[in-house]
Amino acid sequence: MRDIPDWLTSPEQYQPVASRDGFVTRNLLSVSSVLAFFRFGGKASPLSPSAPTKLLIMLVCILLTSLSRNFLFVLMMLAVVLVRACLLPREALARMMAGAAAAAGVTLLIMLPATLLGQPQSALTMATKAFVATGLVLTVALTTPEADLTRALRLLRVPAIAILTIDLTLRSIVRLGEAASEVLTSLRLRSVGRNPNRSTTMGGIGGMVLLKAGRAAQETHDAMRCRGFDGTYRAGSSTPPSMRDFVWLSATALLALAFLYLQGVSQ
Amino acid sequence: MHIPENYLSPSTCAAFTVAMLPVWHTAVKHVREEVPREKVPLIGVAAAFSFLAMMFNIPLPGGTTGHAVCGTLIAILFGPWSATLAVSIALAIQAVFFGDGGILSLGANCFNMAFVLPFVGYYVYDVIYHRMNSNQGRLVAAGIGSYVGLNAAALLCTIEFGIQPLLFHDASGAALYCPYPLSVSIPAMMLGHLTIAGLAEVVFTVSILPFVQNAAPSFGIETSSPSKASMAPVFGLIAVLIAACPLGLIATGDAWGEWGVEDLADMVGYTPAGLGDGWEWSALMPDYAVGSLPEWIGYVISAVIGVSLLVVIFRLASSMAKPTVDFDA
Repeated sequence: MRDIPDWLTSPEQYQPVASRDGFVTRNLLSVSSVLAFFRFGGKASPLSPSAPTKLLIMLVCILLTSLSRNFLFVLMMLAVVLVRACLLPREALARMMAGAAAAAGVTLLIMLPATLLGQPQSALTMATKAFVATGLVLTVALTTPEADLTRALRLLRVPAIAILTIDLTLRSIVRLGEAASEVLTSLRLRSVGRNPNRSTTMGGIGGMVLLKAGRAAQETHDAMRCRGFDGTYRAGSSTPPSMRDFVWLSATALLALAFLYLQGVSQ
Repeated sequence: MHIPENYLSPSTCAAFTVAMLPVWHTAVKHVREEVPREKVPLIGVAAAFSFLAMMFNIPLPGGTTGHAVCGTLIAILFGPWSATLAVSIALAIQAVFFGDGGILSLGANCFNMAFVLPFVGYYVYDVIYHRMNSNQGRLVAAGIGSYVGLNAAALLCTIEFGIQPLLFHDASGAALYCPYPLSVSIPAMMLGHLTIAGLAEVVFTVSILPFVQNAAPSFGIETSSPSKASMAPVFGLIAVLIAACPLGLIATGDAWGEWGVEDLADMVGYTPAGLGDGWEWSALMPDYAVGSLPEWIGYVISAVIGVSLLVVIFRLASSMAKPTVDFDA
């Protein structure tokens, strides 16, 4: 019978130095939050208009808000955005409010010199406009399935190459984000104690993601060619606008009339 | 009852803000622990009642105006701590977005209307209701509680105004902030609140309370889980109140203690130094109005923005509340 080796009988004394993996955790969290944002599929509410109508209304509303010289119109749009926000599901509401508030906050920061020079009203106007525009875009993004948005863009005669680029970019962000997340997780699991080569790790992850991106782009291109994709998007037969679309378009027309009236009224 | 900017000295404002900090902290703790997650958004809807009630200005004796607060109503439905939080956020929105009440005096306004009013109103209601213990008794208790609560808050407000000239004046005896002493502020404000404004608070409370009890029984902390359909009558009532809020413009005068600096200077013959040189917040829609357009348009849009903001804030806050499902059980 063989003796148990000494090294096996001695108690484990190894105490790794406390690791400083804050940067891995931070990167992992930021990648995860980006992924969560892109994975959040929009869901249309029962009262929503069709995706092309929704996109058109959003563009008109943003244009009118940006062009408005009368603050009352901007406040009317703010009321519309907030009322719609009340009806969003809680998770979508949190995302929409976080995005819109961040945009308004950055605008206030940029406009800080105007406030300090005694023009706080212009800073407030710009921040409200930024809140409304970002809120509208996020509301549409969060209440429209991705496939419907692609179709709506095609129906609105957006060039196919632009849609293809957007489509592939969104998919690539998710794919590459997942890859980066996996590498960061494995790095965290394998890294015990202090890692002196931490500075090179970031470059390694970046390089790996770049290589994967190149390979994924080639594979996607080949797969699409194999399936007969010739660079054109077919939106399918365009369905006529429904009664609901007419109601929404009429409401937008009323907003446009209010805009025209208020542009001529002195504040 | 909304104390404007610079009517109280900065030290008075600081004292009330410091006094309110533990109150807000305790209110948040109580709401997180006691209110189920699905009920938290409903506190926002109740806060909307308070916001709208404060927009209905009523003419008072002496040419001033007053309004209801509905703090006791919210306390009866969701508990006094929820009412403190709801009315505080409604007051903050009014101050920040509409310039109704000062930013510096927000602590004092919250102390009067969001802390003293719902607590006094609720405990008066509680004592009377437990003695009468019937549906009609509940209404009587709610009416008396809301009346006492509103007048307690108004009395505190008059004392805060009235002590300013006693504590803060220059060498010549001219007041630095609010120029009216207790002998003027108490009768001037309390006369209107003991009569018309107190009555308005009672009318709001005893008409909304049975309505929500009958039409939406799940609107309250001690009732079943709410569904979207069951809340339809409550949202309908809010829509009606928004549409009717321009009625508050019929009362043309200013509320007592809420005059502009120039109007006050005309009345007392000089501009108190602290008021003339004081800090002013640039609100989004000062006095719920925009430029030269008809006031009612600004009033309705303000009501929609205020109510939506309250609902959004409390819906977002519901994610911080305790989940209804106990995973440890």
